[in-house]
Amino acid sequence: MTASLPADASALTPNDVRTIGDAIAGGQPTLGGPNAWADRKLHYNLVSPLNRHKFRIIVVGTGLAGAACAAALGEQGYDVHAFTFHDSPRRAHSVAAQGGINAARARKVDNDSLARFVKDTVKGGDFRAREADCWRLAEESVRVIDHLEAIGAPFAREYGGQLATRSFGGVQVSRTYYTRGQTGQQLEVAASQALLRQVAAGTVTLHTRSEMLDLIVDNEVEGGAARGIVVRDLVTGRIWSQTGHAVVLATGGYGNAFFKSTLAKNSNVSAAWRAHRRGALFASPSFLQFHPTALPLGSDWQSKTILMSESLRNDGRIWVPVQPNDPRAANDIPEAERDYYLERRYPAYGNLAPRDVASRAARDEIEAGRGVGPLHNSVYLDFRDPLARLGRPVLAERYGNLFEMYADATGDSPYAVPMRIAPGAHFAMGGLWSDYDLMTNIPGLFVGGEAGWAYHGANRLGANSLLSANVDGWFTLPYSIPNYLAPLLGTPVLADDAESVLRAVAETRASVETLAASPGTQGPDRFHRRLGEILYAHCGVSRSAAGLAEGIRLIRNLRHDFQADLRVAGDADGFNQELERAGRVADFIDLAELMCIDALDRDESCGAHFRLEHQLGDGEAARDDDNWSFVSAWERGPEGTYLRHQEPLHFESVQPETRNYKTS
Amino acid sequence: MSSTVRTHARRPLLSNFVCKTVMAVTGLIFSAFVLVHMLGNLKVYLGAEHFNDYAHWLREAFEPVLPYEGLLWVLRLALLASLAGHVACAALLWRRARVARGPVRRRSLPWRSFTARTMPVTGLVLLFFIIFHLLDLTTGIAPAASGAFEAATVNTSHAYENLVASFQRPLVGVFYALAMIVLGLHVAHGLWAAANDLGATGRRFRQVAVVASGVVALVIMLGNISIPIFVLLGVLK
Amino acid sequence: MKLTLKIWRQDSAAAAGRFESYSLDGAGEEFTLLEALDKLNDTLVETGQVPVAFDSDCREGICGSCGVTVDGVPHGPVANTPSCRQHLRSFADGSTVTLEPFRSGAFPVVRDLAVDRSGLDRIIEGGGYVSIDAGTATDADAHQVSHETAEAALDFAACIGCGACVAACPNGSASLFTGAKLMHLTLLPTTRQERGQRATGMTAAMDEEFGPCSVIGECVEVCPAGIPLTAIAGLNREKLRSVLRGKTS
Ligand SMILES: Cc1cc2nc3c(=O)[nH]c(=O)nc-3n(C[C@H](O)[C@H](O)[C@H](O)COP(=O)(O)OP(=O)(O)OC[C@H]3O[C@@H](n4cnc5c(N)ncnc54)[C@H](O)[C@@H]3O)c2cc1C
Ligand code: HEM
Ligand code: HEM
Ligand code: SF4
Ligand code: F3S
Ligand code: FES
Repeated sequence: MTASLPADASALTPNDVRTIGDAIAGGQPTLGGPNAWADRKLHYNLVSPLNRHKFRIIVVGTGLAGAACAAALGEQGYDVHAFTFHDSPRRAHSVAAQGGINAARARKVDNDSLARFVKDTVKGGDFRAREADCWRLAEESVRVIDHLEAIGAPFAREYGGQLATRSFGGVQVSRTYYTRGQTGQQLEVAASQALLRQVAAGTVTLHTRSEMLDLIVDNEVEGGAARGIVVRDLVTGRIWSQTGHAVVLATGGYGNAFFKSTLAKNSNVSAAWRAHRRGALFASPSFLQFHPTALPLGSDWQSKTILMSESLRNDGRIWVPVQPNDPRAANDIPEAERDYYLERRYPAYGNLAPRDVASRAARDEIEAGRGVGPLHNSVYLDFRDPLARLGRPVLAERYGNLFEMYADATGDSPYAVPMRIAPGAHFAMGGLWSDYDLMTNIPGLFVGGEAGWAYHGANRLGANSLLSANVDGWFTLPYSIPNYLAPLLGTPVLADDAESVLRAVAETRASVETLAASPGTQGPDRFHRRLGEILYAHCGVSRSAAGLAEGIRLIRNLRHDFQADLRVAGDADGFNQELERAGRVADFIDLAELMCIDALDRDESCGAHFRLEHQLGDGEAARDDDNWSFVSAWERGPEGTYLRHQEPLHFESVQPETRNYKTS
Repeated sequence: MSSTVRTHARRPLLSNFVCKTVMAVTGLIFSAFVLVHMLGNLKVYLGAEHFNDYAHWLREAFEPVLPYEGLLWVLRLALLASLAGHVACAALLWRRARVARGPVRRRSLPWRSFTARTMPVTGLVLLFFIIFHLLDLTTGIAPAASGAFEAATVNTSHAYENLVASFQRPLVGVFYALAMIVLGLHVAHGLWAAANDLGATGRRFRQVAVVASGVVALVIMLGNISIPIFVLLGVLK
Repeated sequence: MKLTLKIWRQDSAAAAGRFESYSLDGAGEEFTLLEALDKLNDTLVETGQVPVAFDSDCREGICGSCGVTVDGVPHGPVANTPSCRQHLRSFADGSTVTLEPFRSGAFPVVRDLAVDRSGLDRIIEGGGYVSIDAGTATDADAHQVSHETAEAALDFAACIGCGACVAACPNGSASLFTGAKLMHLTLLPTTRQERGQRATGMTAAMDEEFGPCSVIGECVEVCPAGIPLTAIAGLNREKLRSVLRGKTS
């Protein structure tokens, strides 16, 4: 991961890689603050129970956002078709979330409230999110906990029998609900059970091992409308079309573009990207969160970065040796020669500083030569003090399975020696742009969960994204989709032999066949690894104009190599994982270029997007609200050119300030 | 692939649950029977008279409320019905398990589940044993029975003499001893399985059940096995 | 280290399968089993062969996607650990390792080491859910659940749906999976209304595709979530209870 800057560092300027388009509107209610969502719901159109079965809704993805949306619409009586490339809905990567889910239930007397939740979220996102969305997130968070608890998520309970909470990074209250270190799993299992309940009831048709490869847009409709998808049956290779009145993409995040990320091997951007190619705007692609508590890389063949939950930072203390390249073992370094740098630099938040801040601080230490471990690429997360204070049983109950996982992956027991952690690519704040109703700029195309961009601005607070996926799926899309559908009553779905359907299917088939026939010598994973290295080096924890320009150049070279030397073993008509990967890597390469373009374009630092040119004296991010208080929403022009639209941001409830995690 | 395309197999008349419950209940009946039977058998050590009186008592128990051999027939019918149920359900379950596991055999984890995996085999041996045993000591039909067999009469029983005569044939004695080991294996797992099949989830109960299954099986096995051994050693004559 | 991998190759559910041997050079002890397959596949692609298909996703033991039979044992030599967390350090340098798909009548082979486990989802469809619609739940703090109950429910809820229990079971039974779900839900206060129906529905769905349980107990030896045998007793208890009390609650 050496950032080799090009000789002609200023080769590319933003103007070489993009043009600037019109401003766009987010469609949030004019009435801001806590009443906005109630007011908006009041004005939504409704579909009567008798008519609901006449509407067919396609939901792609069965993670928390998708399973919830499909189940909730099924419960209401719509004709839902749910798709996942997994063999079972439960395997969506939501299942891997560990730490917890936030909710502004404010039961404790630690002075939490809806307003504080909004403030934390907007501030945590470094004022690059739409404030109105955050109010909805806060308000619906209460019902999310109630509902998931009711449908089977066994949330941790206090000894008195009440729901237990803990703290997460970036907040000073305790609003994170959890089930040991398996929160995502329990929520995902509960949601997929709710989905299967609808499958049994006949309202949802579930298509597993089915990958969406294209969006069908009906251009006969004024302004275009999303009316279906093209799907590949991953077992038989059959390419077919599913039409409907609306399409929801809940296809998860794209952090896997970095290859070594906390995401699953098969996580991808393809569904969102293909929609983008059909005209959907892509918001803030470069806003990608690096998780400070990932495990450092060990071998070249390591297939991913394992995440250690942020919850560990509740008790664990992060430090590095004061002495660069200190050769001693962790436990041999005396207290006086340890630098608890987060506690030192951010006394108010200490080890629970937000992720971007913690990741950057770790990177600073590692780059200053104080990194630990054989490759000097990590920092310590030490449980010595809490072990002495709380005892082993308490720690075992809080973090037992995480410690086990760590020991399993590294061979070291965190009870005996400090863990080693490092920043790893994690969560995509960016995604398909959508308005307040979660509809993209293509009418009828909705987006939910991590596939979208909503709520998190330039940096997501820990435990807010399980929440956002749930709020989208259970308590937003089931209101906003009917609003869209109501006027369409009586409109049939596109026929399977409609021109736009046949064209999309034919195009997909052709591109799959081209891909399958790639005559080169290297499998898609090779290119994916190379892409990840480029992104880590040039579009990682910190970025510079020169580095990004170089990144773009390298990515274009990579694309060229990919086209010239890709080999896809096996045939197109059958189960072919190489073919699946090849398609995904192709999209990642395109996305990576746009990430770099977006990062090059955004000439400020904000949240996870840290431009070396823009830092305050003490190394903190220097945001530029005068020029950049907007969301970038990218349109793809002909031949890979890009047009940047902007949605201006307004803040009513939380006034922009410089984030300060030092004193307050 | 679409999970909505569901093919409903025909529901069998006897569900697995029914079969399992029948297995467990009949298995428990058997176990209770062999335990009591073993205790009765131990009377051999009190001498021929005691033993024969006991066997005789079995036949005339509760007379005149019950006719001669009344109790015995009640027991016999209950046991016969149980045996039919137990064996039939075992066969059904075995067959279904074979189909479900598919054509490829899996390599079993060594030993840990030995008694469990051998239930059908030990069961079959027991079936054969029971038939042999009835021919030998109840009906007295050769070649199972020894030439010296004398049937019980209204006044007296020759159970002791029949037993000793039978077990004095070394092959038969050894067969009995081996069969008792098989029985121990079958009961050891059987009782534990029955506890599970009848839904014992309590932590304490399960701990007790594990130990109890082993102990009961061992007691039955050792109690019974001593008899052919002592006959072969010439202690019992 | 160097290993010989004897791998089951099968082109589709209908095709006949066969073992093929590959030698894997230069893998490290710290590799996971699946990373070893990644490396092998990389070489196969490079040399113009068709790579080995196998399912995996999270690679950290939580999604339940992975699952191969290693030397006859589902998931691999380290007990209660999913394939993605099995490491090469378990094998001696130079040894031969046999990799097969999960074997069970209810798990048809999709290709090579990948199988179709959708039967497990059909068990859930039989009733492994809570019939409470979105938005209709009451306040989760309005009812208390003891700390122990919540923890116990979680012990059973930890099942990752990998299907190893089925593959390990000489009877091809999915009782551990089904029992885990029944126990998980039964312990929670909001799910009691449909207790009987759930037990009846799930066992019926299970019996359609999977075998009966004879309490052989090999399932618990491989289960990566550490689901205990109590789950199966729980399954029987719930079913018995529903029969004795009538169906619905
Ligand atoms: C290791 C890890 C830990 C995390 N911990 C936390 C935490 O503690 N708290 C928190 O709040 N957040 C956490 N997050 C983030 C959070 O889990 C995710 O943002 C969230 O679960 C995403 O849910 P989703 O429904 O949007 O997508 P996913 O759950 O990723 O689901 C995506 C779905 O889309 C399907 N899909 C994708 N593409 C296609 C296609 N082309 N065709 C068909 N189907 C497709 C997939 O099969 C899958 O079903 C964590 C994330 C990771 C990776
Ligand atoms: C007569 C021939 C017998 C056969 C063929 C036989 C066979 C079996 C088999 C195959 C099982 C396992 C059933 C399952 O799949 O769960 C079983 C269980 C059992 N058997 Fe037998 N058995 C026989 C006799 C006996 C006898 C004589 C006893 C008692 C001493 C006995 C006691 C049990 C018990 C307690 C169980 C456990 C039932 C359960 O599964 O809950 N069996 N038997
Ligand atoms: C070494 C062990 C055993 C000995 C010494 C023994 C001895 C006897 C004797 C002497 C009788 C005849 C009683 C009579 O006719 O009055 C008898 C009957 C019988 N035994 Fe056993 N037995 C043994 C083991 C078993 C076992 C393991 C079983 C069951 C699995 C069994 C089942 C029976 C039955 C069913 C009868 C017939 C009862 C009747 O209908 O009259 N026995 N046994
Ligand atoms: S019970 Fe265990 S082995 Fe079976 S599916 Fe669940 S996690 Fe896998
Ligand atoms: S191995 Fe099979 S028989 Fe029962 S105890 Fe486990 S399901
Ligand atoms: S790949 Fe997810 S559990 Fe193994």
